[in-house]
Amino acid sequence: MNTNSNAYTVIYTTLVVVVVAAILAFTAMKLKPSQSANAKAETLRQMMSAAQIKPTDELYATKNAGILQLYADNIDEAYTIGLDGKKSGELSVSKDRIELVDNLKPQNKAIKDGGEARLPVYIFKNGVIVIPIYGAGLWGPVWGYVAFQPDCHTIAGAYFDHESETPGLGAKIKDEAWFREKFVGKTVEFGSEPLFNLSKNAEATGATNAVDAITGATMTSKGLDEALNVWFKAYEKHLGFGAFLNTLTETTNAEEE
Amino acid sequence: MDKKLKETILNPILKGNPITVLILGICSSLAVTVQLKGALVMAISVILVTGLSSLVCSLLRNTIPMRVRIIVQLVVVAMMVILVDQILKAGEGTYAIDKQLSVYIGLIITNCIVMGRIEAFALGNKPIPSLLDGLANGVGYGLILIIVAFFRELLGSGTLFGLQVLPAGYIPNNLVILPPFALILLGCIIWAHRAYDKDLQEK
Repeated sequence: MNTNSNAYTVIYTTLVVVVVAAILAFTAMKLKPSQSANAKAETLRQMMSAAQIKPTDELYATKNAGILQLYADNIDEAYTIGLDGKKSGELSVSKDRIELVDNLKPQNKAIKDGGEARLPVYIFKNGVIVIPIYGAGLWGPVWGYVAFQPDCHTIAGAYFDHESETPGLGAKIKDEAWFREKFVGKTVEFGSEPLFNLSKNAEATGATNAVDAITGATMTSKGLDEALNVWFKAYEKHLGFGAFLNTLTETTNAEEE
Repeated sequence: MDKKLKETILNPILKGNPITVLILGICSSLAVTVQLKGALVMAISVILVTGLSSLVCSLLRNTIPMRVRIIVQLVVVAMMVILVDQILKAGEGTYAIDKQLSVYIGLIITNCIVMGRIEAFALGNKPIPSLLDGLANGVGYGLILIIVAFFRELLGSGTLFGLQVLPAGYIPNNLVILPPFALILLGCIIWAHRAYDKDLQEK
């Protein structure tokens, strides 16, 4: 057969592409459940690391099922709020059906441009309130989880992650434990500006809501700074001005009635 | 084992090592060698991709239209790489490593070793020798990767496979973590390889 004729070439390449596409589609479909399970466990790990549930290394050595169990054991309540700061829905916390809002990109868009936002709030049994943050780093998105003490004011812990920041520079927001540990004990005054300050020599100002940016990772630090401020602002109506404490009393009252 | 087959397997590991002799695949060997664990996973991924791509292309070698052969090879290699990436993402233990290697698994597609071996060997040889040639080239690549990662993790973090081996007082050398040091180290390995094997030296 003449393998160099035009008809043969066209038919051959079409066939190869169709076969390859079929193989890839099949594998993607088959592997999707375990991939989502891994991604979910990773999100839970990051949240619990921020909430100081266990030392981070131990969390990362635990298998997925153990992580789900640990979360179910420690979570008290999870719900979503809208941009108005009011509760808009419940998130299931039972072990077999853990619900998360792990797709933060559309929420970030909604915060910036308005629209329907589902902002998750996770309250753990140790009283810590965990909220996500999301923004743009240098090469791709950066995100993380910030845990507040029950006073909605002091940061109990944080965990940051990124998609493709430069290893050794921007990637330090995730890799270096000392960076996330710096956030512990910082305070956020809802209602004031800026809510948080992550920049060069920020700590030297003596402000309690300031953390030094990472040297050599200006754009990543800037992106993280913006993510923190934009998302804290979005939660301001819910967590700030004692609003959160009021909602808690309201629910207790309702239960009593 | 006959001599030719033995040559096919040993040559890519020693005399024709893709990294130290052919100077291929340098970029990824700088990028993924900060830690041994990552380097090991990368090495296994590349071994699988080179081996299986060579096998498939060798099976198809008589049917591939010569004018579009590079495109067909690329499609095969890309498929293998995506499969490896998807499988790593699905494994409970490998998910974190896949996240750490991030783009570099995907970039195996552009690793010159893979396409180079298909063009130079698989298109002109039977499937079994092609498979072995692909695997052996992957091993040759992986070997250097692991040597580089060994020194970088030891001196850069004081650990091996994440376990502390140097005394706690050791201050990690930050230069070792950065890519330029990998290049220096690679230069030293090439130097040692050439000093050992006189045939490699240019007259």
